[in-house]
Amino acid sequence: MQAALDTLSAVRDTAIALLDADAAQQAPQGIERVMLAADKLPVVLVVVLIIWFGLLFLLFRTDRRINRIEKELNESAFGA
Amino acid sequence: MTSTDRDNLMLPARGIGYRVFTVLVAVWMTVVVCVGILGHISNLPILEHTARNLYFHVPMWFTLMLGWFVTAYHSLRLLVTRRRIHDVRAEQAALVATVFGVLGLTTGIVWARFTWYMGTNIWWNGDPRQVMVTVQLLICGAYFVLRGALDDERQRARLAAVYALFATVTMPFLMYVLPRRMESLHPGAEGNPAFSQMDIAPEMRWVFYAAAVGFLMLFWWIYTLRVRVRAAEIRVSELADWP
Repeated sequence: MQAALDTLSAVRDTAIALLDADAAQQAPQGIERVMLAADKLPVVLVVVLIIWFGLLFLLFRTDRRINRIEKELNESAFGA
Repeated sequence: MTSTDRDNLMLPARGIGYRVFTVLVAVWMTVVVCVGILGHISNLPILEHTARNLYFHVPMWFTLMLGWFVTAYHSLRLLVTRRRIHDVRAEQAALVATVFGVLGLTTGIVWARFTWYMGTNIWWNGDPRQVMVTVQLLICGAYFVLRGALDDERQRARLAAVYALFATVTMPFLMYVLPRRMESLHPGAEGNPAFSQMDIAPEMRWVFYAAAVGFLMLFWWIYTLRVRVRAAEIRVSELADWP
């Protein structure tokens, strides 16, 4: 009888431990608290922002190149 | 063809067609971003709203491929005709395409972190798909290292063109063949995911196609813009040498 009870309580302890682990997984920590909110919509925002920053990078580089052209033109016989 | 003809970087002025195209790209991409974020999709476990990243992450890779095919085309043309404009076109297509590739990898890492690796705090776990595209991006990056290492313009154009052909040839293997032969968490390891009838919900399919076309058009705009600026820069620098 005692053995059976011990087995039962062991099963119960395991179940509680598993549920606790489950609960721990469902309470996101750190950065996941932000990113997993609102059905993970922030992940989409970050992805779109990364692409936007990439396009900005190209824009800045092209801008610098035009600057250089303007400078060369200003300094050449064609400027002033 | 004389050598002056070969060196000529004069580009025709852009007509009304190009202006219409640029406005079309602007409107098209605005609609894609709005529909991509607001449109209705099914809420699947693990994926949830991140399924929308399909519209933004996957077209990055299509753009990398298209861009490097453009580079390969102009590299081949350069080797055949020795016309300098092909070198300018090849370099600019490679640069814009590689930036899109880096965006594809970065967006993929973020997407994977909050789906595959949710609750584990893992950003990078050596997934074959990610490793292979990283190798591919390094191969692409070496193109610019090679260009930077060569001072003679004609020699640089020739060697870079040969290397660009090699970099383009490795692309289908590292991005499609090898990852599909290994165990990966990345979806679509079986068959042809982009055009599969089963892997994508009908309401997402057309947004995805529109996004892919939109990003390819956006690539084309940025690429042609950079070619014009680069050609003008070279021409001006040669004007400035004159007394």
